[in-house]
Amino acid sequence: MKYTLKYSFSLLLLVASFLGNAQEVKVKDSIKPKTERYGLRVGVDLFKLTRSFYEKDYRGIELVGDFKLTRKHYIAAEIGTENKTVDDDRLNFTTKGTYLKAGFDFNGYENWLGMNNMLYVGMRYGFSSFSQTLNSYTIYNPNPYFGQAPEIPSGEKFNGLTAQWVEVLAGAKAEMFKNFYVGMSVRLNYLVSNKKPDGFDNLYIPGFNRTYDGKFGVGINYTVSYFVPIFKSEVKPKEGKKK
Amino acid sequence: MKKIFLLLFVFSLLGCEKDDICDATTPTTPRLVIEFYDFNASTETLKNVTKLKVKSDDVAEGVIFNESLTTPDRYLSNSSKIFLPLKTTDVTTKYNFTHNFGVAGSENTDILEFKYSTQEFYISRACGFKTLFTLNATNPIIPTEPFSSASSWIKNIVIVKSNLENENEVHVKIFF
Repeated sequence: MKYTLKYSFSLLLLVASFLGNAQEVKVKDSIKPKTERYGLRVGVDLFKLTRSFYEKDYRGIELVGDFKLTRKHYIAAEIGTENKTVDDDRLNFTTKGTYLKAGFDFNGYENWLGMNNMLYVGMRYGFSSFSQTLNSYTIYNPNPYFGQAPEIPSGEKFNGLTAQWVEVLAGAKAEMFKNFYVGMSVRLNYLVSNKKPDGFDNLYIPGFNRTYDGKFGVGINYTVSYFVPIFKSEVKPKEGKKK
Repeated sequence: MKKIFLLLFVFSLLGCEKDDICDATTPTTPRLVIEFYDFNASTETLKNVTKLKVKSDDVAEGVIFNESLTTPDRYLSNSSKIFLPLKTTDVTTKYNFTHNFGVAGSENTDILEFKYSTQEFYISRACGFKTLFTLNATNPIIPTEPFSSASSWIKNIVIVKSNLENENEVHVKIFF
């Protein structure tokens, strides 16, 4: 996985360098105005993307985006789809669905003017719509006098399932090349609502990941994203906090 | 920055998965719980069996009643309560009940056939599914010889609870 990541990065960074060059054709003023750049940053989660290649039972993609509102505040969202088959000792099931997470990030990193690096904490509200297919199961029998019963194939499908949750996250984004960012975040999820199937459970929820006995879950993503500048605003010298 | 590292640390701890082992206290597939009573007492009185061996023709050995023993005595019960597994893959289980097993002259075997329906229920990720049994409403237990027969050591059977949900309840009372 390490290598896949490395290659993905190299490829994307190569593309980044071209894009960077294209942007540098500009007439420069002798005195640069102090400006803050605002725009939309869009990207993709490499963790899910690479997993789809090396993990036979997993297909998933997540697109990420954030938009700078103020110097410290961003609105942010993730949208994705997952198809995962879990093979546990006693259960084998497939979860399929899509999800959307929306919220905000608060940047704690003091950037130089014009930069958009981030060390941030944030919150998201997540919603997922999915289906579960129970592929096979075994009967738990602590007294196997007649021997353990064989695995029972099922194929029963539970449609129309939904879940909602809240995430708190912490992460970093750094500009590697002009307008190209790599980032990562770790997330703690808390289930708010969970529509479970009759006679089964939501052991995996797209976007939320594996569920545990309680309501908590965890997540992670590694992103590459591109910053699309939309407008610049001049910084008035008097209101600057920097000395 | 420090806060972020602290968060990362907390996340790494959460990675430990403790719900992957099926807890022994979780009610799973139950066994049939049988209690033995004195047939001659005027009020219901529990009575211990002596050297009772219960065995299915499909299995080489009897049902183990005393896990801690390694001798053949582990197949013998001397108590007033026994637990018998039912077949989860079938709707009928036949057992040979041998009273006074190995005692010359008084060894006596009665055969009982239990008839039931099964239903499967989801428990959890670690435990998977369980089978619950419901004894048939008519003729749930069929003896090969009538209880009135002189050679039958079992004199009567009463169904206390026909749906087997856990092992904390008594399902069948056997009078002898």
